[in-house]
Amino acid sequence: MEIEKSQPYGQGGAEAILNVQPNTSISIAYHHLFGPHDDLMLLELDEKLLPDILNQRVTLRGQPHEDAVLCSQSKTYAVKFVGTSNSVFLIPPSNLSIALGASPNPSEKDHDNSVVASVIKVVPGSMELVEVAPRLDKLKLLLSENPYGFDEVSQMNTELMHKNKGLYSWSDLVEKVQASDGELCAGLRALSAVEIDGYWRLLDENFVDEILNMLVHNVVLNDWLVSALNEDEVLHVLEADGFPRKIVRHCLEVYGSKVNDETTGGCTWRLEERPVCVHFARVVLRGKKMKLERFMEEWRKKVPEGMNASFDVLEGEVLTEKLGIEIRIYAFSVSSLPSVPAERFSKLFQEKPKWEWKELQPFVRDLKVPGLSSEGLLLKYTRRTQPSADAEPIFSAR
Amino acid sequence: MQIQVKCSCGEEKCPEWAILELQGVVEAQPSFKDHLQNLQIGSLCRPTSQETYTFTVGYHELTGTKVPLKKPMLVLKKIKLDTEEEKDNISSSMVELDVIGVIRQRILFKTRPKALISKPQPTEKEKACAAVSSMSN
Repeated sequence: MEIEKSQPYGQGGAEAILNVQPNTSISIAYHHLFGPHDDLMLLELDEKLLPDILNQRVTLRGQPHEDAVLCSQSKTYAVKFVGTSNSVFLIPPSNLSIALGASPNPSEKDHDNSVVASVIKVVPGSMELVEVAPRLDKLKLLLSENPYGFDEVSQMNTELMHKNKGLYSWSDLVEKVQASDGELCAGLRALSAVEIDGYWRLLDENFVDEILNMLVHNVVLNDWLVSALNEDEVLHVLEADGFPRKIVRHCLEVYGSKVNDETTGGCTWRLEERPVCVHFARVVLRGKKMKLERFMEEWRKKVPEGMNASFDVLEGEVLTEKLGIEIRIYAFSVSSLPSVPAERFSKLFQEKPKWEWKELQPFVRDLKVPGLSSEGLLLKYTRRTQPSADAEPIFSAR
Repeated sequence: MQIQVKCSCGEEKCPEWAILELQGVVEAQPSFKDHLQNLQIGSLCRPTSQETYTFTVGYHELTGTKVPLKKPMLVLKKIKLDTEEEKDNISSSMVELDVIGVIRQRILFKTRPKALISKPQPTEKEKACAAVSSMSN
């Protein structure tokens, strides 16, 4: 049997395959550039992501040792390779040479006018996307390396400090954190990070404490209302005490909210009870367990006038334990826990083997896994026991 | 590290690529194994106006249909960008992914091949294993 090696390469390509007319046939051949072409990959994705990709709003993010994720503007997707045992012949359009940067086929002449579509590679599988939660724990870790504190403010030469490690600009974070731009922004907001001299920083807790104490002190001194603080006045007074305007304004944003009051003119802020009270509770509890009564007493002393230090605001910030008739309280903040569900539940059950729903809920309600409801999460990571039908369910480790 | 996914063709102009998919493997005769380039595999025929196709490979005929993909697939090409200054001896070759095509349908042959003539079979039975030989010319 005569075997002809140099098949003509026609103008067919993928177009011909996709538009085969009834009662006709086309010839399928290996492309003159046929090979493994490991640089060619297939990516399966949702139709609704297509515009993002085609308009170049999508990037792959991750360090060499991490599994790559694909990020759109607002979402993060894990990339999974799915292999196939079928033979998948990949056929490019006829003008492929441009795309592959190759010279045109020398034998493009088609002597008998038959249309040929050429296979460039046999594809071993494709990549699929699975929406995942952004990997933001690393963001917290990075920003905690070098929090912004008072020493840095008093240091005149900030240049010197910037040579230190642990400073990350937006573009550094994008390189290092596996999250979309939108999720990274939200993550920075949730951590109350602030951009100082081009770097995203967390404020040192002691520094924040100094600022808040100074603010509360001045509220008393100047007869200000915690529900109506004039921004200009506050910034002016605290600046005189050595606190940079930008940082104080950031604290107003974190611990207060803007009040729209057109009569006063200028910007007015109201200090918010919850974040302020939580801050002072953390300071009181720092590193120790306390009798509940003593804690409440010390806490209420610290909280500014006009604010009610009620135990409810400490949901997700503290745990209590009973020792005989004595109740002791200690700091245990949901913000210090990992955001990966398996790690979160492991930490929780490490802390305390049994949880009532009322206790557990503040420590798990922020967990979000695409495609899994909060009930699903509980089913997956906890064992639920209910001693009797009307008893409170108890959650323990699986 | 961040890899930009680029699309030089732009929206609406992304060329469509095609896929022929069949079960098993197509094997060339041993003498051609290492130089498959330009070798003919077979002939794709659309006998009627329906989206039914036959694919003839050697003495075997496969029957299949054109099916739209549930989700589109993109053809990505990895492009190494050589950074001009190589810092600290680490070859910091940057990578970019370029979208060079989109696939929306495939012609799928999921049945076993039918023998066209009752000559001795070139290779084993099971798979769509067939020697590639010239069909025309």
